[in-house]
Amino acid sequence: MQANSIALPMTEPRLWTEAEMAKLRRWTLIWGVTVLILLPILASLGYFMRMFQSSFFPTVRAEWFYAVLTLHSLGMVGTWYVGSMAGVSYLLSKYTRPSLAVSKINYWGTLLGVVLLVACTLGGLFGTGWYFLYPLPLYSQGVWAPWATLTFFIALAILGVCWTIWTLDLLRAIAKRYSLSAALGLHYLVGKSEPEVPPIVLISTVSLVVGVAGFVAAVIVIALFGARALGVNVDPLLMKNLTFFFGHILVNITMYLGVGMVYELLPTYAGRPWKTNRVVAIAWDCALFLILFAYFHHLYMDFAQPKWVQIFGQICSYFLSVPAGVVSIFGCLALVYASKMKWTLASTLLFLGIMGWGVGGIAAVIDSTVEVNFHFHNTLWVPAHFHTYYLMGVVLIILGFIDHVGKELSGLQERPAFSKLTVALLVLGGYGFLSMFYWAGAHSVPRRYAIYPHEVAQGTLYARIAFGFITVLLCGILLFLWETGKRCIKAFSAC
Amino acid sequence: MIQMHAFYVFLAVAGFLVLIFIYVALSTRRAREINYHAAYSLRKKFFFVLLVVLLFGLGMTLGKTPYPKANDLPDKVVFVVGKQFAFGISDAPITNDQEYEATTYAAPVQLPLGSLVEFRVTSFDVNHGFGVYSPDGRLIAQTQAMPGYVNRLRVRFTEPGKYNVLCLELCGMGHHRMRGVFEVK
Repeated sequence: MQANSIALPMTEPRLWTEAEMAKLRRWTLIWGVTVLILLPILASLGYFMRMFQSSFFPTVRAEWFYAVLTLHSLGMVGTWYVGSMAGVSYLLSKYTRPSLAVSKINYWGTLLGVVLLVACTLGGLFGTGWYFLYPLPLYSQGVWAPWATLTFFIALAILGVCWTIWTLDLLRAIAKRYSLSAALGLHYLVGKSEPEVPPIVLISTVSLVVGVAGFVAAVIVIALFGARALGVNVDPLLMKNLTFFFGHILVNITMYLGVGMVYELLPTYAGRPWKTNRVVAIAWDCALFLILFAYFHHLYMDFAQPKWVQIFGQICSYFLSVPAGVVSIFGCLALVYASKMKWTLASTLLFLGIMGWGVGGIAAVIDSTVEVNFHFHNTLWVPAHFHTYYLMGVVLIILGFIDHVGKELSGLQERPAFSKLTVALLVLGGYGFLSMFYWAGAHSVPRRYAIYPHEVAQGTLYARIAFGFITVLLCGILLFLWETGKRCIKAFSAC
Repeated sequence: MIQMHAFYVFLAVAGFLVLIFIYVALSTRRAREINYHAAYSLRKKFFFVLLVVLLFGLGMTLGKTPYPKANDLPDKVVFVVGKQFAFGISDAPITNDQEYEATTYAAPVQLPLGSLVEFRVTSFDVNHGFGVYSPDGRLIAQTQAMPGYVNRLRVRFTEPGKYNVLCLELCGMGHHRMRGVFEVK
């Protein structure tokens, strides 16, 4: 691999003063280092879960598994969401002025939310899983106390408020320079190419608009839990729809924001432009519509939903793959094909991240077929596909972004041998770990089981094999942290 | 077995995608200008191929959803209640906690081989997943057990034996222990 110097986003002087730019870089580094600290901790929780399922801890109570599951999943979803938001904020600063104050408030608010989540899960054994399906938080069977439930919802409320403000602030910043129709690239649809809208602006706008809708749904869910606590009857099917609407959107916009970062960064390595045009605009505007309804595939096994809704969910889920595959993945491949690509750790991770998005997307489309989902729903096939486009998708993209920024600001170049080893460990460990999820899902092993009963005892063996691959993966993560962490820490002194 | 078919389709398509990424990465060893018109033309072909594949997939699968069909009347109705942490399965309606308790201790319900059975599935507390496992351990059918709603799951059993029911929705600390059982003769 070559170590190359890649230009940072060239900030227009009128947008930021040098002092402001220094603060922006510093806060981006703070976010990046925080993500790097959280990654091995949260990954270790996943490691613990696979060890638990391997029967390595026969004397530990199952309640611990479910509490750790809840913290791992919420922590990962939150970490990569803020990671992608911090990355996009930094890259958008080339074109707009996101508020630094909002970023700071979000940082402290997110930390407070995380502390509360740790308290209610590891301290209070709150174990409902990350989507806390109504009304499970209210039926603890004595495992978690009311304070843990209350703390959980306070944490969610803090995170929800902070992230909504952050989302709105980025939209505000975009709106200061682009009208909504321009930011959505609608003028490209009628054949105009002016004003030129960078892909990251278009993708961020689509993602953030959808994100606001998701956060509104989350607020309604929290409010309805409160109403239920006061004795008001709440419809469980409505709650399920709202919960999955929010959850599906949060996960998807995290991925999309990551893809937006690739649109912005990868051309600097490939030495070719990647611009918005009519096809790109159509693709992302279609995604804006389809993503709102694709979440129905989470409710296929709720037969009480109207049948037309389920069919519409499958159609939307299928066609969501068209803009992703034909425009973004194809575009990435065309950008890199036969280019003078500078293969660094960052650019390799960005490229592999798009590949992981594609691989996970294929598994997701298969599972979004009602007939198939009938046999896969809530088996390990589900974590298989979402871990693929998270771990091998957006996580690699964000790690690539952090490495990109750390290298630029520190001036420390990478060691090619270490970079190659890091990538090899991440790919081998990551896909090896995922292969056991897929194989287990195809063999009917349920997800979220602390212990596998005799009917699905094969799950224990698959967990043990996965344990070996996670060990390899963790070695790759630690190597990445060592190399990139050094650059990030040195970068602090440079800004 | 549909799960393995899906697995192999996934392997084939994902494997093809990975090969394309490897090919593209290797192509950078010999950098050159590319013909953008040829790339756009290839993208257009890819778009139509993907569209045809997706439409074919929809056409082949949308008619096979597991939802009850009005003209397909069941031969037998079975009532199911999920509650932390066991499934009550009975020939008779389960309307309260006492009846539910009784069903969890009763002998397994017997179902006739080859008949179309309708499970009327609900919950008395939180969401559960009513997952039916065949005697050889395959997940052959499922629906959610949701408080306040009855989900109607129709299955025609073609193999005799003991069928286990596992919970497929996280429902608390005893989720992995939650059970139900019935027999097909």
